[in-house]
Amino acid sequence: MRRQLLTINLNHYIFIILIVICQILTSEVPRPRGVSLSRASLYNPEKDFMCFDGSLTIPFSQINDDYCDCLDGSDEPGTSACPNGIFYCTNAGHTPLNLDSSRVNDGVCDCCDGSDEYLNMHLKCTNNCFELGQTAREERQRQAELLKIGSQIRLEFSQKGIQLKQEKKEKLNDLQKQQTEAEYLLNEKEGFKKEAEELEGKFLEHYKKIEEEERKKKEEEELERSRPEMIETFNKYDSNQDGFVDISELQSRATFDRDRNGEVSEDEAKFFLNEETSVDLETFIKSCWVRIKPFLMIEAGTFKPPAGDNGEADQEQTADATEPEHEEVEDLNEKEHPDIDGEDEEEEEEEEPQEEVKPVSANSSPKYDEETQKVVDAANDARKEYYSAKDTVNNIKSEIKDIERYLEIDFGSDDEYAILEGSSFEYTDHEYIYKLYPFNKIIQQPKSSSLETHLGTWSDWIGTQDKYSIMHYTNGHSCWNGPQRSTKVYVTCGSENKVTSVSEPSKCEYQFDFTTPAACKEQTNDSENDVHDEL
Amino acid sequence: MDTSIRLLLVLCLLHAARAVDQSNFKTCDQSSFCRRLRATKPEERSYELNLSNLQISDNAVEIELLNKIDDVSLKFVLTALADNTFRVFVDEIKPLYPRYQVEGSLNGEPQVARLELLDRNNEEIVVKSGENKVIIKAAPFKIEFYSGAKLSAVLNGRGLFTFEHLRNKKPSGDGETDLGDQAPQESEDPGMWSENFKSHHDRKPRGPEAIGFDFTFPEAHRAYGLPEHADRMALRTTTSGGSNPYRLYNLDVFEYELDVTMAIYGAVPVLYAHSPSHTVGVFWNNAAEMWVDITNSKDGNVVSSLVSLVSGQKQEMHVDAHFMSESGVVDLFVFLGPTMQKAVQQYTKLTGSAPIPQYFSLAYHQSRWNYNDEDDVRTVVEKFDEHNFPLDVMWLDIEYTDGKKYFTWDPIKFKHPETMQLNLTATGRKLVVIIDPHIKREGGYFLHEESLSNDYYVKNKDKNVYEGWCWPGSSSYLDFFDPKVREYYSGLYALDKFVGTTKDVYIWNDMNEPSVFNGPEVTMPKDCLHYGDWEHRHVHNVYGLYHTVGTFEGLLKRSGNKLRPFVLTRAHFAGSQRYTAVWTGDNAAEWSHLAYSIPMCLSEALGGISFCGADVGGFFKNPDEELLQRWYQTGAWLPFYRAHAHIDTKRREPYLYNSDVQNRIRNALRQRYAHLPVWYTLFHEHEETGEPVIRPLVYHYPSDLNVFDIDNQLLVGSSIMVRPVTESRASSVSVYFPGGPNEIWYDVEDFKPFRGTGSINIPVSMDKVPVYYRGGSIIPRKDRPRRASTLTHDDPFTLYVALDDNKSAKGTLYIDDNESYDYKNNLYIYIKFTYKDGVLSSSLIDDARFSTSAWIERVVIINPPSGIKHATLKSKKLGTTKLQTTYDGENRSLTIRKPGVSVMDPFTITLQ
Repeated sequence: MRRQLLTINLNHYIFIILIVICQILTSEVPRPRGVSLSRASLYNPEKDFMCFDGSLTIPFSQINDDYCDCLDGSDEPGTSACPNGIFYCTNAGHTPLNLDSSRVNDGVCDCCDGSDEYLNMHLKCTNNCFELGQTAREERQRQAELLKIGSQIRLEFSQKGIQLKQEKKEKLNDLQKQQTEAEYLLNEKEGFKKEAEELEGKFLEHYKKIEEEERKKKEEEELERSRPEMIETFNKYDSNQDGFVDISELQSRATFDRDRNGEVSEDEAKFFLNEETSVDLETFIKSCWVRIKPFLMIEAGTFKPPAGDNGEADQEQTADATEPEHEEVEDLNEKEHPDIDGEDEEEEEEEEPQEEVKPVSANSSPKYDEETQKVVDAANDARKEYYSAKDTVNNIKSEIKDIERYLEIDFGSDDEYAILEGSSFEYTDHEYIYKLYPFNKIIQQPKSSSLETHLGTWSDWIGTQDKYSIMHYTNGHSCWNGPQRSTKVYVTCGSENKVTSVSEPSKCEYQFDFTTPAACKEQTNDSENDVHDEL
Repeated sequence: MDTSIRLLLVLCLLHAARAVDQSNFKTCDQSSFCRRLRATKPEERSYELNLSNLQISDNAVEIELLNKIDDVSLKFVLTALADNTFRVFVDEIKPLYPRYQVEGSLNGEPQVARLELLDRNNEEIVVKSGENKVIIKAAPFKIEFYSGAKLSAVLNGRGLFTFEHLRNKKPSGDGETDLGDQAPQESEDPGMWSENFKSHHDRKPRGPEAIGFDFTFPEAHRAYGLPEHADRMALRTTTSGGSNPYRLYNLDVFEYELDVTMAIYGAVPVLYAHSPSHTVGVFWNNAAEMWVDITNSKDGNVVSSLVSLVSGQKQEMHVDAHFMSESGVVDLFVFLGPTMQKAVQQYTKLTGSAPIPQYFSLAYHQSRWNYNDEDDVRTVVEKFDEHNFPLDVMWLDIEYTDGKKYFTWDPIKFKHPETMQLNLTATGRKLVVIIDPHIKREGGYFLHEESLSNDYYVKNKDKNVYEGWCWPGSSSYLDFFDPKVREYYSGLYALDKFVGTTKDVYIWNDMNEPSVFNGPEVTMPKDCLHYGDWEHRHVHNVYGLYHTVGTFEGLLKRSGNKLRPFVLTRAHFAGSQRYTAVWTGDNAAEWSHLAYSIPMCLSEALGGISFCGADVGGFFKNPDEELLQRWYQTGAWLPFYRAHAHIDTKRREPYLYNSDVQNRIRNALRQRYAHLPVWYTLFHEHEETGEPVIRPLVYHYPSDLNVFDIDNQLLVGSSIMVRPVTESRASSVSVYFPGGPNEIWYDVEDFKPFRGTGSINIPVSMDKVPVYYRGGSIIPRKDRPRRASTLTHDDPFTLYVALDDNKSAKGTLYIDDNESYDYKNNLYIYIKFTYKDGVLSSSLIDDARFSTSAWIERVVIINPPSGIKHATLKSKKLGTTKLQTTYDGENRSLTIRKPGVSVMDPFTITLQ
């Protein structure tokens, strides 16, 4: 049946005439039942018959006697006696058919001329070859026309594809040039920045010392100021007044129930004792106070901790940062010049509340003397320019990456599929809307909600005979109790780009049928030869 | 939280737990009556026969049996039945409520035999029926069954007989509290008057009503039977090593385990005790939850072995069985064989053999949960044809329905079911669709509304309609015990009622244990109420049987009693074979499951249910290519041959694999199809004689001690022996050739002979399945491949004549119209082939006739005489004809070319 669908590039009227002539010819050559014209000469009634494989020679009377003598089935072309025989039906008016011998006289009309069923008296196969042939010819013509129109469009697609690709290539060239220039500029700016920062460093060294001293002083003052509170707290906790605060003493205080489970565990208590079992006053002041104080504040309602504890928050930040290296190395600078790095603006905002907590800040600048201020300003400018140059380079790089990725996609032997990239095609069944984004992804969305399920990301072409007959999309959302979703898109020739059906043959393995002119490739000559052979 | 969401969540949790948790099913210790009865102490025996109160008729003896401790009178009846069978019946003389007596299992009223009184005194009476003798002893109460002079079975030899009489609950100290788990009175087991398991409460309004008894089988080496268990064929000792007794309680066990005595989907309470000299069978006709403890003396402790060693006495082999059931009566059948062949036939005669199925149902079935829509079904069949895989039946699982409402079609995916069926039947195929017993509780669903208004549903303990959870969500369950419901239900299958079906649609009854996702042990609560006021506990194990009776009758009525129904069921009981085929349920794509499909089906076959198979490929998980091929090769030799797969698995239709794999699967399928005449003939013979279609080696070689544990090998009829390869990457397998030095087994591929003298390692490639024809048999085959078995009926036969040591052979062939009951009007032919002294002849066995155009196209003599030049055929219609003969490969066989004689025409072919 497949063969009927084969399309050939011939004027079909001539073709019909050809068929008819051939069939008239064939029917006049006497030959055993089920033998094609091309093989008729192999069956000579005047001679003994040798099996095609040469294994046996039998009297001609044993041809089609409903007993299988030849291992290759060649002695029974017209019966079902051999398991591997071939029955040829002429199918005048339609395409001839090589039928498996197991279909001969099995009560099912397989040949449209009914020639495969000649034993069963009750079974009347109607000869509908002409009607079928007519339909097939019409279909063939339709296909041929479709192919003709389609291949025209395909040509356009291909041209556009090549053009698109060329444009991309040119753009790439362009960008690569730009990249060289931008990188040169970046290098230069980096040099300037380095110079300016070295100078700035020298000037600020003096101020840093002062700052450091001030900070220390402040801390000591703070310590001094809180010392009475610390001692008071220590004494309060040291309930047995032995000069040590130990685990059991802390365990009686609900303040330290960090996980709020109603009791202070040993581990919880230990945390506040700096992982010791007991501490004296000085250790308490030096190591434990910092841990205890926030909880006292929470208790007093004077302190609201940031969401989660500090450790976690820090981690989150690092994970969030797009370029952690950059951030850690240049942390200090960033803090002082919050406006420079435009890329990380959002993050900057998130960090603001923390910045207030930290004593080192950018608005301490006014205290620099004039000369220093100038140097600092110059350094700021140099940094600003450096980062702007760096952005430019990064932008170019990512653009190049995109184009390179695009250029790696296999858009068909003539880039005929390139034009589909960037568009989307929908298919709606009774339950879902399916969206195919060629060379990108496939989405499934229930009609009743906007909840999208990912059915796969573009992977490759995986057709076996024609590579470009099946698109494969893999690594979609995982199924409950099943694999990650994936989709095969079967691509066939059609006058328009269209998803014609969607199914799920196995759980979470989807199948799309997609027609497109891009698949309307004219057949090579091989298949035409096939058809001629059968005549 | 929304209550429905919460409910859903709870159910999800239940489900998730179900997937892995064996603890969802009771152990004996968690089942009150099993706990009670297993602890029975023989020294407290209190049962005595009152021989002064005795009645004897031509067939039976009736005696009063006294429970002396509780002062309760029971009625003991021993009846002699035809075919070396005795029936033992015990019930209360005046029970507080009637006790349930199973009816559906027996194939009509058993035929009685003459019983003679031989002797009678104060201690015992002796009766005789045929060659068998029974000694009934009064105190201690004990029954000895003799086959000839041989003591074969002893009932209550160990004194474990228990019959809990029905009673009113004694008011407990603080009044009406129903918490039976508390305050046990004296010896009372907690749980006699109510029982909890997990979150489920069983109200047990009738209190304790359990029954137990023991059997001792002197000289027995093995016990077999008691399907269905995912276990080896020979029953293991359960009374040591912390094992549980074999449990019989139909349950939907998710991802069942192997090598365990846990209950699964089916219950057939028949057991065979086998010794090299004889076999005894015991069938307890009881539908309540049942446990059976087995003790095989061969598994005895070291001390006793030492004692026997020292004393120089050969310890006598024997098997003990302790049967325990939650309720009912003692209705017991003892089959005295004396051979296993006879004992199995006696049991099968009692519960009925399977009527010969339609020919197509023995061919290959293709199933999957689910073929998504009509297009899918069509495509699969087309692909099978394109790749030349034979296929007879396509199956649709639950997704074809409109929202899990049975007897409806999904209006989008299966919009044109009749056209779909026409497409199938155009190439000789059939369709099977699933129909489960749970009914979706949905307003507007005719079946639910009619069942509600007609009061057709099972009730809960408060006499309201019971509501459980299954595939459709909230569901109720038809009460198939009510004849009105069965009548109604069978009517639903009418072609104008089940719109969209044609005569070529057949039925699959699943989930009929019944499966209730949120019920105790995934089934119905025991205090639910059925027709006749029986509690579910009394009838549980026959629920599935009655479901399939409804279906069977529906299909019968649908065709005006013309066509033989085909029904597949998961739950089953003794007698199910009269209505259905069974399969081993939701197995897994694992080598071990492939291997266990053989003992599981062999046990079913001994239990009367020959039409058994396992999901080819395994239901859960994805089989690799090797496993799938081996499964097709193995499944080809089990009676029911269906591939099936879970919805979460990958597609695995044979055409999806590379050509090597395809070739092997095609060969397996073709081998099945070639042997269909053998299978069909065997099913005919099964219907006539009750002999199982597949048989363990011990069935035909009962005195060969080496075969007692062989259950990885099977016999198809008596002529074909198969040792399927069920081991991964096997390069050789050990095959046991039984029968002694005079028996010859021929490899079916190259006719290489093997003597019946024990184990031989046989090399196996992926293409090889060790299959042998027994010397002395004639195998009729249809070797022409077709796309469906229904298209082969006019095709000719090839006779494979495998000669024995005496250069003779015989075989049979049964032919009818393959689908109707016309054979009951003698419209069939049953042919006997014999080969002796160089002459093959055929003759018709019965006085029956059937017209067929099938003929003999070839005769292959295996191990032929030498020097044959030609053959001469003589028949009434063809007269005398000379036939060509050819020796093939190493002269192991001789082919007679084209006899051309009709199978209806008796003939002789003489080798010359």
